[in-house]
Amino acid sequence: MDIFADLMMGLSVAITPINIVYLLIGALVGMIVGVIPGFGPSAGLAILLPVTFGMDPIGAIMMLAAIYYGAMYGGTITSILLNTPGESATVASTFDGFPLAKNGRAGPALVMQAVASFVGGTVGVILITILAPMFSQVSRSFGPPEYFLLAMMGMLTLLVMIGTNWKLGVISALIGFALGTVGVDLETGQGRYTFGSAELIGGIYFIPIAIGLFGLGELFYAFYGGLHRTGTGAIVQYDKEERFWPTAQDWISTRLTMARSSILGFVVGVIPGAGATIASLMAYSTERSVSKNPENFGKGEMAGLVAPETANNAASSGAMIPLLTLGIPGSASTAVLLAAFLLWGMRPGPLFMEQNPELAWGLIASMYLGNMALLAISIFAIPLFVQIIKVPYRILGPTVVVICALGTFSVNASFIEMFLMFGAGIVGFFMRLYGFSPAALVLALVLGPLAEEALRQTLTISRGSFMIFIERTPSLWILGITIALVAFLPLLNRLGGKTASSGDAEKAGS
Amino acid sequence: MRIAFLVALLAAAVFYSYTAFADLGFMTRTGRLGPGFFPRVIGVSAILITLWAILDELRSGRISRDGDARAWADVAMLMALAVGYALLIRLFGGMVATFVFLAVTLSILNRGQLVKNMMVATLVPAFVYLLFDWLLNANMPPALIELPI
Amino acid sequence: MISLTNGYGSRLRNGILAAAVALPVGFAGPALAQDYPSADETLDWTIAFGPGGGNDIMARSIIEILDKYDLYPGDVKPENRAGGSGAVGWGYLYAQSGNPYGISTTSGSFVTTPLQADTPWQPEDFTPVALLATDDLVLVVNGNSDIQNIEEFIAKAKETPMNIGGTGTVNVDFIVPTLFAQKAGFEFDYVSFNSMSEQTTALLSNALDAMVGNPGEILGLIESGDLRPLVFSGQNVPAALEGVPTMGSLGYDIGVSMPRGLILAPNAPQEAQDWWIETMKTVVETPEWGEYISSNTLTPTVIYGEDFRTFLTNTKNGFQEVLKSVGAIK
Repeated sequence: MDIFADLMMGLSVAITPINIVYLLIGALVGMIVGVIPGFGPSAGLAILLPVTFGMDPIGAIMMLAAIYYGAMYGGTITSILLNTPGESATVASTFDGFPLAKNGRAGPALVMQAVASFVGGTVGVILITILAPMFSQVSRSFGPPEYFLLAMMGMLTLLVMIGTNWKLGVISALIGFALGTVGVDLETGQGRYTFGSAELIGGIYFIPIAIGLFGLGELFYAFYGGLHRTGTGAIVQYDKEERFWPTAQDWISTRLTMARSSILGFVVGVIPGAGATIASLMAYSTERSVSKNPENFGKGEMAGLVAPETANNAASSGAMIPLLTLGIPGSASTAVLLAAFLLWGMRPGPLFMEQNPELAWGLIASMYLGNMALLAISIFAIPLFVQIIKVPYRILGPTVVVICALGTFSVNASFIEMFLMFGAGIVGFFMRLYGFSPAALVLALVLGPLAEEALRQTLTISRGSFMIFIERTPSLWILGITIALVAFLPLLNRLGGKTASSGDAEKAGS
Repeated sequence: MRIAFLVALLAAAVFYSYTAFADLGFMTRTGRLGPGFFPRVIGVSAILITLWAILDELRSGRISRDGDARAWADVAMLMALAVGYALLIRLFGGMVATFVFLAVTLSILNRGQLVKNMMVATLVPAFVYLLFDWLLNANMPPALIELPI
Repeated sequence: MISLTNGYGSRLRNGILAAAVALPVGFAGPALAQDYPSADETLDWTIAFGPGGGNDIMARSIIEILDKYDLYPGDVKPENRAGGSGAVGWGYLYAQSGNPYGISTTSGSFVTTPLQADTPWQPEDFTPVALLATDDLVLVVNGNSDIQNIEEFIAKAKETPMNIGGTGTVNVDFIVPTLFAQKAGFEFDYVSFNSMSEQTTALLSNALDAMVGNPGEILGLIESGDLRPLVFSGQNVPAALEGVPTMGSLGYDIGVSMPRGLILAPNAPQEAQDWWIETMKTVVETPEWGEYISSNTLTPTVIYGEDFRTFLTNTKNGFQEVLKSVGAIK
């Protein structure tokens, strides 16, 4: 078995005391970076890349990979505890993660997210190890027609996000689509809604909106509910002894969720440009569709947390495939890793693994180690992180405002993004109060630009003909799956019932 | 007050659509979908559905009840403080603004614990500064007006 | 290495470290002027993009060379002032009119951002020091395409218009094929992508007929035969693309490329400009600079002072003309 020989070689390269130290440092730093709202893996990697200059490439790549994974693990912690996504791929984790914490299950939620991340990450690495060449075919068969159809498939997710009052749900999604059109039009280069601002050329970035809508919006909503006046004023309950470990029920009910979401996340991650965010949102809606009790989603269903967490980590492994097999970075984070390869004088491409077997397999081996290390670190760190929620809300609340504001600013050094975050916070409060769906808004903001650009690219390529969607084999496949889902989902939804995200808003508002 | 929010959204949708129709082309000169194609579709749908939702609201004949005045006062105050904070950051930079925001907000919310409040107001910006500027080399918001301190 | 660690550290640590490694006071560089540069003044080096990007790497490579060869007597403080596609950083430098100690490196956005947004500055406002290198593009087709060389490509494109992918529209990726097609006499549809990776997968999936891109990012795919290079837009073909013709050698010279250069604040004193021109003449001769050029697959194109200003004006006008003709900008 070639693969095992390669993997053993990789492990022997990776396991040296100094490399393990780099790995642990990277994992810890990554986790800290991930916890700060706004800082995701890509921002963390870009900021810390210069530290690795002058290090031995294998140690450096292990540290960078660990930062990447660490940030993926850390990003969920604030999603669960404060409803504030640490980075874009953990937005979906707020949908059920925060309700779980509110129900007093912060401990089990954090443990399960660490386990889910571990499962997703590890399944992802196993798939890389054995199937990298096969999946490289997937990532090289995606042109604009396929991206458009993929975006359409993602939009099915909107159906489950839209909620009971469909008009308000649709309005929410339209706000997201409208925000998505801001920026210089990709095809013609014409500015749309930029009003001459240089900061809006690149469009409205998704993370300030998500932090504002979910983080600040929730904060305002908690104040509206008078949380800062109650005696203890803690936002969520956490009982150390009996409520730390997940129950047997949690494990059993999420076994299949983990399996499904690992595969789904990995495949979406392999597609360049789709990435962990879309993977996590799709996994959430898939899980809700197949669940026996979809009405519990959005109210603290463990599967609703496990699905996006497994998927986003599996996707971040999947994103390594186009990087290692084609030299194409599939995400912002892998683009930074590519820059690192170039800095070390390597030439990523189809021959990369052949030419640099030690580095490539060392990297793969370090992913196994990194995921194990992070699982351990996470479980040990949970009692520490839950201290956050013991701080009385009247003190915690203002501090969260500070962290959200400064974190949002730092990522792109943009005042406009910071103001957008505050604006989204205020709008998010009203949306929550009046039964709109912030989740649909965010999803539309992610998928809208993808769909628009891909459709217009496709029609340029095909000279205006829609036949291209059935002339290309990969398109045909996606089209088939989408149609099957469309036929299937209404049935599943009829069995189901209420909504994902507007559940408790309905109770409170109107 | 859901209706007020819907009316505000309607105004935004009208402005959005106006710009789409006035400034952005529907088709490019080569006959492909132009930059204004989707904005027009989005804008018009938003206007229609928002109008529909407003009609629903009027027809239901009841003005949705909101929480009590005290809850509104609290949330309005926090929003005002947050907006004030955003402006302070723009003017005086992250450090000064954070200290002022925390000092003011905590002295309102957490009355009578002056020492504790001042400690939080000092330690949080210091911690953030260490974390961002020292550990991560990330940008803290710079001041537009430097204070002589 | 010192300046790199410097750059990573905090502003606070920066100061301390920079002071600790400050070069000995004296006339270490080619000391033309008596008063400039003063060892007491800190050189405020603006990097208009975040860490890890092309502009950042270039700035830090130059600083490293200045440091290694003791070319600058005082402290150099590199600072990433990212935001608004460079508008924030260069706006910061623009505001220091007349200051001899404000400096920055340029990249493509230096020309394109003012075309797209209402920046208070234009590229020719700054005091030009030198153009050091240009980013040029290579036109590639899928490795399994039956088009073997550029002649076949042009012949085929004249028969049936092809589509060519590139990154963005207000970008050299769009300008270069447009001008090339005009000169070579064929028509094509431009397909604009957000990133190099999306356009590369589109080409590999056979959705595109061809694309343009920076050779550095696709060398791996060219080497493995997955992509076939047809023509290069720069004056000299980089070693890795040996055998590929340039547009100039075909008689279709387009003369547009992305400037990587060095600028001072507007209205900087003459002696500062002269000092930096002399210093950069030394820098481009160092082996470290040669390594920077080859590892980033840039084309070494060096012009100094006012010629650089003319180059910037020409590049900007060329861009404006093409972009106006297609309606991208007003």
